Amino acid sequence: MIVGGCDIGSATGKAVVMKDGQVVSFSITPSAVKPDVTARKAMDEALQKAGLSKLEDLDYVVGTGYGRLKVDFANENISEITCHARGAQWLLPTVRTVVDIGGQDCKVMSVTEKGKVLEFVMNDKCAAGTGKFYEAMARTLHISLEQLSTLGLDARKPAVISSQCSVFAESEVITLINEDVDLADIIAGLNNSVAGRLSGMVGRVGLVEDVVLTGGCAKNETLAKALEQRLKVKIKKLPMDPQIAGAVGAAVIAAEKVAQKAQVDSVAAKSHS
Amino acid sequence: MATKIKSRALQEFQEATQCLVNPALQKWKDQGGRVIGCYCSYVPVEVITAAGFVPFRMRGTGSTGTDLADTCVSSINCSFVRHSLDLGLRGEYSFLDGVLWVNSCDHVRRIYDHWKRKIDTSYLRLLALPKKNEQAQIDWYRDEIRFLRESMGPHFGVWISDDRLWDAIKLHNQTRRLQRQLYELKKRKNPPITGAETLAVMVAGTAMPPEYYNGLLKELVDELSQSKDGHADHRARIMLIGGILDDPAYIEVIESQGALVVTDSLCFGTRNMWGEVDEKAGDPFTALAQYYLYDRPQCARIFGDQPRRSAFIKEMIRQFDVDGVIAERLVMCDNWTGEQFMTGEDLKEAGIPYIRLDRDYVNIGAGQLRTRVQAFLEMMGR
Amino acid sequence: MAMDKETRRALMVKGLERYRKERDFFKFLSDTLALMPDEEMQLSKEVTDITVDRYDTIIRCAEEDKPFVAGYFNAAPEVYTAMDLPWYLIMQTPFLAASAPYLMEDVDAAEAMGLGTDWCTACRLSLYYIEAGLSPPPTCMIGLLHPCDAATMLHQAVVRNEKWRGIPMFCTDPPYFEDQRGIDYFANELKKMVAFIEENTGRKLDLDRLREVVKESNKQYELWAEYAQLRRAVPCPQGWGMGGPQCFAVSQIFQVGQPRGTDWFRRLVSITEKKVKEGRGVIPKEKIRYFWFDLLPFGWCFELMPWLEQEWGAVMVMEMFGFTPYTPVDTRNEDTIFKGLAKRNLYESPMVRQARGIADYFASDIARVVKDYKVDCVIWPGHMGHKDGSASTGIMREICNELKVPYLHIGLDLFDRRYTTPEECKDKLSKFFGAMGLG
Repeated sequence: MIVGGCDIGSATGKAVVMKDGQVVSFSITPSAVKPDVTARKAMDEALQKAGLSKLEDLDYVVGTGYGRLKVDFANENISEITCHARGAQWLLPTVRTVVDIGGQDCKVMSVTEKGKVLEFVMNDKCAAGTGKFYEAMARTLHISLEQLSTLGLDARKPAVISSQCSVFAESEVITLINEDVDLADIIAGLNNSVAGRLSGMVGRVGLVEDVVLTGGCAKNETLAKALEQRLKVKIKKLPMDPQIAGAVGAAVIAAEKVAQKAQVDSVAAKSHS
Repeated sequence: MATKIKSRALQEFQEATQCLVNPALQKWKDQGGRVIGCYCSYVPVEVITAAGFVPFRMRGTGSTGTDLADTCVSSINCSFVRHSLDLGLRGEYSFLDGVLWVNSCDHVRRIYDHWKRKIDTSYLRLLALPKKNEQAQIDWYRDEIRFLRESMGPHFGVWISDDRLWDAIKLHNQTRRLQRQLYELKKRKNPPITGAETLAVMVAGTAMPPEYYNGLLKELVDELSQSKDGHADHRARIMLIGGILDDPAYIEVIESQGALVVTDSLCFGTRNMWGEVDEKAGDPFTALAQYYLYDRPQCARIFGDQPRRSAFIKEMIRQFDVDGVIAERLVMCDNWTGEQFMTGEDLKEAGIPYIRLDRDYVNIGAGQLRTRVQAFLEMMGR
Repeated sequence: MAMDKETRRALMVKGLERYRKERDFFKFLSDTLALMPDEEMQLSKEVTDITVDRYDTIIRCAEEDKPFVAGYFNAAPEVYTAMDLPWYLIMQTPFLAASAPYLMEDVDAAEAMGLGTDWCTACRLSLYYIEAGLSPPPTCMIGLLHPCDAATMLHQAVVRNEKWRGIPMFCTDPPYFEDQRGIDYFANELKKMVAFIEENTGRKLDLDRLREVVKESNKQYELWAEYAQLRRAVPCPQGWGMGGPQCFAVSQIFQVGQPRGTDWFRRLVSITEKKVKEGRGVIPKEKIRYFWFDLLPFGWCFELMPWLEQEWGAVMVMEMFGFTPYTPVDTRNEDTIFKGLAKRNLYESPMVRQARGIADYFASDIARVVKDYKVDCVIWPGHMGHKDGSASTGIMREICNELKVPYLHIGLDLFDRRYTTPEECKDKLSKFFGAMGLG
C-alpha cells in the first residue's frame, strides 16, 4: 500500500510518501503564491524521490495545512491540528504534547497514545511566535535564520523583551541594539519571549511528557532550550525532520483510510457471497 | 449545505439579514409606520408593538469600518458595539423613531451615552435591568416596563392600554410558538433546515412587522412540517452557544465542515423565544417581567442563574441529540468569557465535547474558523 | 450544601499560605518604614501596620474557626465593623500580589486554567486564586455585581467553584440610575445583606452600634475632604506616594468607622497643612500637575511614577481614588442610615461611582478636578479591565477640549507590565508632554 500526505503551509509545502507503513520519501519546497502549484511541486518531488512517476501510483492522498482545500489531487483533507498531532506521535510514540511553530501560526496539541487530539490551542491572529516573527527579527538584526537559531546558545545575560506583540518587540530589539547589548543576549531574549508565549499555550492544554516541537521553527535550538527552561521538561527530538510532521500525519491517516475501506469492502464481499 | 427549502419565506428572511431595512419594514415606514430600535433581547418588544410601532433589533449589518465610533469608544471595546454605533453616527439609523436599551453590558450601555450626545433621535431610553432574578428584581423590572409605557405614551401621543399590551403579548407569543415549532423540526435525525437558515429566520423576526413575519413563518413551518426531506450529510449535530450573533454566514462556515447546528443558546436564538409570556397572569407588566427576567433562558449577566443556564444547555443537548457544543464569543466580551469558562467546566464534568471560539463581529475569519471546526469534528471522531 | 469541616480545614491551610506571605510582606514594609523618621513615612507605616493587623485578625479567625466574611468597600463595610466581623476582599490578593515576584506566573497560570485574557486582570486573578485554592475560604460572602461585567462574572464563577459553592453568598443588586427609587431599592438590598450576614455568622447588628460606627466614618470622610482641599495648593504637598489610595484603604477597608483610622486622618491633615503653610511641594520643582484618572499601576508603580516626577517634574495632584465627594450619612434612624449608606455605596465609592451607571461622572469629575486642582493635563490610563471607562474616552476627550486641557489615553494593564511596558508608557507620556508644550 502506497499513500501520500501533503501539508501546504504559508511558507513551505511538504509532501510525504509512505509505503507499507514506512516513510520512503519526503520533500520540502518553498510555497508558491498559489497553493495548488505548491502542492503539485511538493508531491511530484516526493514521488520522484520514492522512485514513482505518477500520482496514480498512490492509493490515497490526504491534504492538510492552510492550503489544503486547494490540493486538488487529494482524496480528502484533514485539519493540520489533527495531522501534526498524529504525525508527531507516530514518529515518536511517547509524544503526548506537540508544539507546532509554523510560518504564520503556532499551535499546541495534547495527544493520546494513539495520536488522537485531546485539546488544542491555536494562535493564528498575530505573528508573535511564528516563522514570520523570526524572519522579521532576523532582518532587524541583519543575521540569518540559522544564526537566530544558534547564536543565542552563548548568551550570558539574556535580554528581557516584554512586549507580546511582534511589532513592539521589534522596537524593543532596536533599543537593545542601540544600547550595545550583546547579540547573543538579544537572540536569547527573543527566543525566551517566544517560549513564554508558547508555554502559556502549553499550559492551556495541559503539559504531559513527552513534548516535541514540530514545524519549520522547530529546528531553532535556542528556542528549544528556552522552552525547556520554561516548561521544566526535556524536549524530545523527532527521528525525522520536524517540519514534515504534518505531512507524515496526513500520510498515516491516508493509510488508515485505505485499510478501513479494505475492511469495509471485505465485509461487504462476505455478506454478498 | 444545499438548502432543502422551497418556500420564498426563507429567501425573504435571508435577505432581511443582509440589510437593515428590509422591504417589509420599508413598506411599513412608507405607510407612516414608526420603528423603535432595541439593543438587547431584554427590551420588552410587546410595549413597542402595543404602541402601534414595530420593534427593530439593533445590529451592525452593512458596516465596513468603525472610524467614527472609534472617536467615541476604544480598541478594547466590542466590535459589535463599534460597528453598530458607527452606523448610528453615519445616519444609517435615521429610520428609527426611538431607541431603547437595557444596561446589558459594559460596551452596549455606553452606546446610549454616545447616542444621546451625538445622534438626533427624538426618543431614547435605557431600562435598568437588574443583575439578579429574585422576586425583588422581577418586581423592579415590572416597574421599569410600566415606566416605559408611561414615558412612551406622552412622547409619541399614543395610549398603550393594558388591553393593547395583552394583544401585543399574544402576538409575540404566537411568534415564539412558531419559532419553537421550527426548532422542533430540528430534532429530527435529518433536520429540514440548517442552523444558518434558522438564524436567518430568527434575525428576520426582529426586523419586520410581527404579523407579516408570523404569516411568512407559518408558511415555512407548514412546508417543513410536511416535508420528508432533510439534511443527512452532516458529521455531527452541534449546539451553538454565545452572545450576539446575527450573521448566518458565520454558521455557514461552521456547517461547511459537516457540523450541523441543530440548536442553540444565542441572543437571537432560543434565548429570544423559549417559553412564553403568561397570558393568564393578572397584570401584563408582571407577566412580561416574569418572562423576560426569569422564565426565558437567561443571559450570562444574571447572577445566581448559571446552574439553570447550564441545565438548559444539557436539556437541549438531550432533546436535540447533540454531539458537541461550540461556544462563540465576541473578543473583549467579559460576560461570555466567564460563561465560556463555566459552561466548559460543566460540560467537561458531563463528558460533552466542547470548543471555545473567539470572533469579530464583521470579519468571520473563515479559514481559521474552518480549521478549528474541522479539528473539533476530528477530535470527536466524526 | 455547606462545606464540610475536612474540606474547609484543608482549603484553609492552603489558602492561608499566600495570605501569610502577604502579611509578612506588609510586616516587612512596616519594619522598614519604622526606620524612617520622616513623619509622612510614619503615616505610611501606620497604614501598613493596620494592614498587618487585619491580616493577623483574619488568620486568627481562620485558625480558631471563628467567623469572618468576604465583603466589599461598597457594600456597607460600616456594617461589618458594627457587627465586629473581620472581613477581607477576595480582590485583595491580586492587588497585593501585584508587588510580588510571582505576579506574572499567576497571570500565566490563570490563562492556563482557561480563564481568558481580555478581562480585568484583578478580577481574573481573584478567580484564579480561588480556583487554585490560594484564598482562605470565609464563613460567608458578600458578592459584587457592579460596577462592571467582570465583577458579575467573577462572583458567578466563585459560586460555581466546586469547593466554594458550599459557602453562602449574597450579592446586592445595583440600580443603574441615580434617583431616590434606586437609593431606596439599594437600601433594601443592604438590609437583606444584614439579614444574610446575621443568619450565616450568628452575629446580630445593633443599630446603636451601627450609628456610632457611621458617625465615626462620617468624621473620617470629613477629614478626608479637608485633606483633599489641601492638595489644591500650588505646589502640591504630596504626589503619587501618599493620598487617595491610603485614604481609601483606611476609611473603606481597614479602619472603617474605627477611631484609629480617624486619628490617622487627623495626622494626615495636620502634616499636610504644615507643608502647605510652608509652601513645600512633594518635589522641589513642580512643572506639571496631572490628574491620573484610575488606580495606580500596582504591578509596576515604581517603574513609572517616580520617573514622572524626576524626568518631567510631573506631580499627581489627584487620582481617581482620592477624589470622591462624600456626604455625611444622616444617623437619625434606621431608615436614614441605610439610605445614606446606599447613597454612599452607589455614588460615592471611587471607581464604582464613575463606572457603574451612565458616563456623566467621567466628564463631570474631570471638570471638577481640573478646575479645583489647577490641573495641566488629564491622563486616562485605560486599564484593560475598564471596558465601560475606555468606552467613555470620547466623552472625556471632549470635556478636556472644552476645558482646554490636554487629554491622554494610554491603554495599559495596571498589573501586568507586559501588556504595555513601562518603557512604552514613558515614551507615550514623553511624546504627549512634548507635543502639548508641558514641562
